[in-house]
Formats: sequence, structure tokens, C-alpha cells
Amino acid sequence: MSPTTAVRPPLWPVDMPLEPRPGGPLWLAVAGKGGAGKSVISGTLARVLARRGHHVLAIDSDPMPGMAHSLGIPEPSTPPLLMQAAVKPEKGPWRLKPGIGPVAVTRRFTTPAPDGVRLLQLGKADQDGLAPVTASVSAFLQTVRRMHEARSLYDWAIVGDLPAGPRQPAAGFSPYARLYVVVVEPTSQSALTGRRVARIARGPLGADVLFVASKITGPDDRWLVERLLGEPVALEVPRDLAVSDAERGLRAVIDAAPRSPVVHAVQRLADIIQARTLEAA
Amino acid sequence: MKIAVSGKGGAGKTTISGTIARALARSGHSVTAVDADVNPMLGISLGLGMDGTERLAGIRQELSEGRGDGEHEHAHTIEGLIERFGEDAPDGVRVVVASRVDMPDHGCLCCGVSADRLLREIEGTGRTVLGDLEAGVGVLSRMEVGSLDVVLVVANPTPKSIEVARRAAQTAVAREIRVLVVANRVTGNEDLEAIHAVLGAHEIVVVPEDPVIARADAEAIAPIDLDDSSPGVRAILAISERLAAEATLQAA
Repeated sequence: MSPTTAVRPPLWPVDMPLEPRPGGPLWLAVAGKGGAGKSVISGTLARVLARRGHHVLAIDSDPMPGMAHSLGIPEPSTPPLLMQAAVKPEKGPWRLKPGIGPVAVTRRFTTPAPDGVRLLQLGKADQDGLAPVTASVSAFLQTVRRMHEARSLYDWAIVGDLPAGPRQPAAGFSPYARLYVVVVEPTSQSALTGRRVARIARGPLGADVLFVASKITGPDDRWLVERLLGEPVALEVPRDLAVSDAERGLRAVIDAAPRSPVVHAVQRLADIIQARTLEAA
Repeated sequence: MKIAVSGKGGAGKTTISGTIARALARSGHSVTAVDADVNPMLGISLGLGMDGTERLAGIRQELSEGRGDGEHEHAHTIEGLIERFGEDAPDGVRVVVASRVDMPDHGCLCCGVSADRLLREIEGTGRTVLGDLEAGVGVLSRMEVGSLDVVLVVANPTPKSIEVARRAAQTAVAREIRVLVVANRVTGNEDLEAIHAVLGAHEIVVVPEDPVIARADAEAIAPIDLDDSSPGVRAILAISERLAAEATLQAA
């Protein structure tokens, strides 16, 4: 066996400060396996934080249908507004137009959602294939990777909804995140995904991790999630029919069923996150 | 014969892939199960458990960390890689993992063998290849005309899952790959109608909601090992019998 000499490019920008800054902004990413409830939790959390007085930027980096519905935006714009901030140079990939940075993107190229939330969206794949995605990915990455430069966003809360699995955390789609909210339902596949995401978040990304047990129907479920993960969860979110009812009506669960158990649980999640951020300060 | 399983995350792709692979192997077929997801889970539904699944190596990581057996990774043949890095699962299934990105040293995503290439180039004559794809339509959209025989498009009765299934079916049809829709976790007529309303142009097979499958997933056991007579597992076994007949016809 001989070692290969291939040079491996880093998957996240190594020159970026990744240490959590004490007292820094409430910047978090919601991650986990597909179907665990990431979009519902992240969309509802964004709305809850906005109602508590935060400026909230919601970031949807999933090329599949995601956060728009749970935020209460019935028809996401396709292609995303972000495309208007991007330009294709003669040579090379799409990039942000000169002079446009994270602040301008947040103000001008995001979709407004209820309660003053702004949604930054990656392009969605459609029948034309991945073109809207590949075209907007560069602009998207340039925006999120420069987020820490934008001092005027430091008093914003950023809530990112990541696509399923460990790929995007590893590829640096959420370098803004100081805290990973890892959503795990009581299944072995979901727990294994949670372990993998936590390994990346705590390791190379240097972020904090908060596990949420999702779709819980009884005390055994929470116990099972903790056993499969090998560590405790901070909170449980019950399985709630209000979620599928809202989804079918293409409404946000916080609008369709504001007193539902799932919305209450996300409010408690916001309490925990706010307490942790104060603690860090 | 080459079969791929596609759909939204959480729709049940891995459970269906693993159970079909085991069932085909039990009935005497030579089966290579390809985990084409960067978050590989197929080991669990094949019966390797959580720890056994974590021990499976991703071909990409192995190559870029120099554990390949040749000097230049690109000189490897796909068949050689499967021989070298594949593992045995119960009933004689051979399982290979294309890539995994959660390792502290995550390897290189730009060189080595992609899931796409693995699925395109793997030999489908004389054996059944079963590819468990990653969520969404990415890998499918990078397949060429005729590089797969059948795509099982797994749809749950939820709007998002049906929408992703619609896109996957459309992507497969555009590549002249036959589509078989698996309506999974169906609890009644209403569920089936929701799926039929969008995917009715394709043939649809039904797998009912089954607590045995849920328990198998909770306990990290292969559903076929937990109870192969439960309604959901039986429905998946029926799909595999059908695919087995087609594979036999194709081989003849």
C-alpha cells in the first residue's frame, strides 16, 4: 500500500474564524435526517424569535422544497431573488455582483415572510434539472461565508434549515452557525445521522450542539432517542397532527395552529437557545 | 439488472432497498447493494446494525487516504473496487458504500469514484445491482439514458414526499428508465388517492404502514429479520419477487 499524493482541497474555508464568539449573535443551523422535522422546527423557530423582537434571517439551503411553507410563504419565488444579485462572468462560475455583500443580500434579495422574517433561498431543482441550484450556489456560499464580516447583522438571529444528512455541514454551507440544533426522531437511521452531524459540528466546525428529540409519542420515545444517540437531548417535540394538517393546507403551523403542542415545544426551544446565548455572554 | 431506489429523505428508500436486496439474495440471486447516499444507512436495513454500518468504509475515503491497493486510484476498475472495498451482509448480499462525508478526515469529493460513476459503470449482467440513492433527484439527474433498468420511486402520502417523487419519476422518464412507484406508509384510500392524483401515470405498488418496520428501524434490525410475515414486509417481498422474475427474464 502506498499513500496517494493527491492534494485534498479543504471543504470549508480554513481562513474563517470558526470559534464560537462569546456573547455573539444567535446564529444557528437546524440539521438532521430527512423527514425528522427540520423545516417545521426551523421555520417555526424563526417566526417565534421574530415575535420576541429579533430581526430574523431564515436561510434555506435545501435544493428541495423546504422552509418557505413552514414560515408562511405560500409560493416561494422561482428562481430565487438571490439570482438577481448574482452575475455570470465570462469565465468562471456565478458570483455576487460587485459591491453586493451579505448585508445587501439580506436587505434586498430575500423574500419577506410574516412577522418581519426575511428568507434567503437557494434555487430549487425542477424539471430543467439542477441549473437554478448550481447557478445560485456560488452566490449563496459567498453570502453565508461572509456573514461574519457583516457587523450590522450581529444583532440579527439567523436560522438555517439544512438539507438532510451530514453533507452540507461538512461542505461549509452553514459556517455562520454557532449552534447546531440537531433534530432526531426515534429511529436508528435518524440517530446515526444525528451522531454524524454532531461529529462534524463539534469537530471541524467548532460549533455547539443541541439535540432535539422529534416526533415523540411517549416517554419511551425520548429514552430510545437518547439510547441510540448515546447522549441526552435538550428538548422533545411531540408528534403533532397539526403539522401535517398545516402542510396539506400549505400553511405555516404557527398560523394554522398557534396553540398546538409542536408550536409550544418550539417556544421552549427558543427559551433554551436564548438562555444558552446569555450564558455564553 | 440494475435497480435504483429514489425519493424524499425519510420516505423509506433504505428500508425498501435493504429488504429487497436480502429477499433477492435469499431466492438465489447474486446481489450487489450499492449505498449511493453520502449519509450511508443501508447497512442497518441489511442487518449489519448501527456499529456494523459505521464500520463500512466509503470507497472515496479509502482511495483518497491511500488505502487503495494500486498506485493510481483512477486505474482501478469499478469491479476491482467492489471486490476490494465491499463487505458481506447476511444472505450473501455484497454491500459497497460509495462515499461518506462525516469522517473527521472526509476525503476528497472531487476525485476518486462518485456514486454516479459507480452506478453507471457497475456491471449489471449476471447479477442484480440495487442502488440506494441519496434523497432528492441529484444522482438520477446525472444518469445517462439506459444506465439503469428500473427506478423504484418511493412516495409517502405527504405533499412534499409526493412532490419529490414526481420530480424523481419525471427525471427517470426523461432518461428512458422505467418507473415503479412505491406508495409507502399507506394507511388507507385517502393516502393512496393523494399519491395516485400526482403519480397516476405510473404503475403504483402499495406498502402499508407497518409497526414492525417502525420497530425494526427503532431497534436497528433488518425488517426481514424481525418479522417477514408482517403486512409491510410482505408487500416489499412481493416487489422483490416481481423484480426477481424480471431479472430472470432479462438473463435468459
